[in-house]
Amino acid sequence: MRKVFSLCAMFLALTVFAASCGSDDGDTADVAVDNSALEAAQAENDALKKEAADAAAEVEQAKADAAEATAAKDNAEAEAAAAREEADAAAAASQGTDAEVNPLAGTAVRVTGPERSPEEAGALQAALDEFGDANDMTIFYVGSADWEAEINVQLEAGNPPDISIFPQPGKLADFAREGYVLELPSDVLASVQSNWDQPALEFGIVDGAQYGVPNKNDLKSLVWYQPARFEANGYEIPNTLEEFVELATQMIADGNTPLCVGIESGQATGWAFTDWVEDMMLRRHDVATYDAWVAGDLPFASDEVSGVIEEVLALWNTPGMVYADGGSIASTAFQANGEPLVNGDCMMHRQASFFSAFFPEGTPAADGSEGAVDVFYFPEGSTGRPVLAAGTLAGAFNDSPEVWAVMEYFGSPEFANARQRVQLELKGGDLSGFNTANTNSDRSLWAPLEQSFQQILADAEVLRFDGSDLMPADVGAGTFWTEGTAMVNGDTSVADGTAAIDSSWPS
Amino acid sequence: MTARVPRRSASVIDKLYRSLTNVPLWALWVFVVIWTLPTLSLLVNSFRSRDNQRNSGFWRVFGDENPEGFSVFDNYEVVLSTESTNGMLQSLISSLAIAVPSTIIPIAIASFAAYAFAWIDFKGRKPLFIATVALMSIPMQVALIPLLRTYLGGAHLTLPFSNRTLSLVPDLDLAGSTWAVVLSHTGFALPFAIFLLHNYISQLPGELMESARVDGADHFHTYMKLVLPLSVPALASFAIFQFLWTWNDYLIAATMLSGGDPDVIPTTMRIVNLAGDFGRTEHLLTAGAFAQAFVPLVVFFSLQRYFVRGLLAGSVKG
Repeated sequence: MRKVFSLCAMFLALTVFAASCGSDDGDTADVAVDNSALEAAQAENDALKKEAADAAAEVEQAKADAAEATAAKDNAEAEAAAAREEADAAAAASQGTDAEVNPLAGTAVRVTGPERSPEEAGALQAALDEFGDANDMTIFYVGSADWEAEINVQLEAGNPPDISIFPQPGKLADFAREGYVLELPSDVLASVQSNWDQPALEFGIVDGAQYGVPNKNDLKSLVWYQPARFEANGYEIPNTLEEFVELATQMIADGNTPLCVGIESGQATGWAFTDWVEDMMLRRHDVATYDAWVAGDLPFASDEVSGVIEEVLALWNTPGMVYADGGSIASTAFQANGEPLVNGDCMMHRQASFFSAFFPEGTPAADGSEGAVDVFYFPEGSTGRPVLAAGTLAGAFNDSPEVWAVMEYFGSPEFANARQRVQLELKGGDLSGFNTANTNSDRSLWAPLEQSFQQILADAEVLRFDGSDLMPADVGAGTFWTEGTAMVNGDTSVADGTAAIDSSWPS
Repeated sequence: MTARVPRRSASVIDKLYRSLTNVPLWALWVFVVIWTLPTLSLLVNSFRSRDNQRNSGFWRVFGDENPEGFSVFDNYEVVLSTESTNGMLQSLISSLAIAVPSTIIPIAIASFAAYAFAWIDFKGRKPLFIATVALMSIPMQVALIPLLRTYLGGAHLTLPFSNRTLSLVPDLDLAGSTWAVVLSHTGFALPFAIFLLHNYISQLPGELMESARVDGADHFHTYMKLVLPLSVPALASFAIFQFLWTWNDYLIAATMLSGGDPDVIPTTMRIVNLAGDFGRTEHLLTAGAFAQAFVPLVVFFSLQRYFVRGLLAGSVKG
């Protein structure tokens, strides 16, 4: 028994020694030493059971085997290096001309992002596969609800993905300034610019340089309604904010409830309120004021911002104005507003383009039938035709040809079309929920309702990203939500609430 | 006559007293019902369609009008399918691949160590034991990222005044693999496992060890033939602890596996994504929760008779 123990100990010591002796570049040598130690140890073990003389021979043999293996490995490596050199040379020679040797062949690109529904993630993967298969490379996408925390860990540990999809331009800008996310090279930039209008690309610009490529665009300045119900009551689609309020007043007089509002969304309760405030900001004040507010130069307590907040609250608190499914606005889930709109409990619901997913199953979209839902543009105020948008941007962490090829593909109409095709199929209805502002995408792939989203995006005189996503997270994903909810509940006054938000702004 | 009255009143008091002694029992039942209610609602809702879940509480289950084509097992069908990316089968296997080795390896190492600390008299036994137990006080959160870095590139030390680099930990490229999670769980579990098992094993009667030695058994034999069978309750209770903890772990798995091969992620990471973008498929969470809870329930009920016994392991001397 003691012998077995000491043998085990010897074997362990040998492997530890072998492993710790490796120098930095000696990976293969490491393995070889390890192997020989292992084989020698096994041989020794056998030998003790048999005879000592045999053992010596076997150890000799094992050592010889190991040496041979090392030699073979060296050879193989030399060959591989030669092949690589050849491939490089061929790629270099073929640049500019059509080449038979594909420089991307055999490479792999890892993409992560926050989209994780089977339809969204599946369509994204399928669109990437299309490019990957055509170029003989592997691209895989992993979506996670915890993306925001995970990307920090991966960067911290030095293991970032090749490309990540950012739901917030603010985060992309932070990483770009820290040097993690890389600026687009000029050829990729030129290719992306040929497919997108400047306002849509603006979100990916940090300090004057383009870092992000848009992946999808959501549209927030929308009001959902049922055309049949409007027709039956003789309501017209409002063209200005004043007409919108008049229409709502008319609805109350007719005994209808104009608006569905719900801002409950778990930990993110309040974001629907911030969207309302942002949309109204764009309609009551010029773009420069909005930008100053988002950048933190214009405090929440200023007359401009608190005035808009008061206007939103006054509208919601008008008797008979709001139908709240869950009892109060703050306790109604934002997802729960699809059903009442279809049932006629309320006439209108201001919510983003992705809200199409929350109507009861089988609700027709903009096909002229009874019960179908449609959207109109949340009417303009006195400041032109502003549109509040959101969306995701792809940013690259690694500088290599295959990564830039995929980034270029993200900006191409082929990507948008492929993703739309697959997502529509996976959703199994008329609406895909995927929306792009890519100007060269094939619009005929989208249903009429979603084409109208793209039209609204294209018609926008002012396109601004969701302000709370651009603010520091302490505010945009913190106090703006919580204090906003408190103001909606009437737990705080607007003056106190806005002061609390201002004091939480990181200096 | 006069004697009867006190007797009758005594019987009334008896009755009152008896019913009063039952009050704690009834109160317990009330608590049991209240505590079980959320789980029950989850279970009932897991058989209801998305729209039904959204529209009414679980107690309205009998008034449900199910949409066409919805059968009560639809949520489970999605969650347990192999085709949908919402399917959890692969991740259940991955979870087992993490939880089983993460339970067995620490127990194997810790019981050896506990025996050595308890019954082998070697130099520096006490300081070493104190150092090991002191490791329990280190929060694992502070070690996660350094650990991930070690898995990624190993740990290397360049010797001063020479070009030699010592690889303290070789670059095994473990990040993103099941082994990274298993090794982390093993490491974080060992201090507590050694402590628990040491307390139990050190209280086995010394005469037993002596007589074993007299009979010619060495330490290995004593451990295998004597200590191991005697400490089954402690081992089992630690196994339950460790299995439940590793099965339900999210933090370590998310740190070690995020952004990598989706085939190796455990159910906890899968469930996080089950609700989908903007909570669109929240209704699947109910079925997902039960698919995830099934395995620990089986483990718990099959080993629970050891659990209560084992919880007291090492707590009372003598």
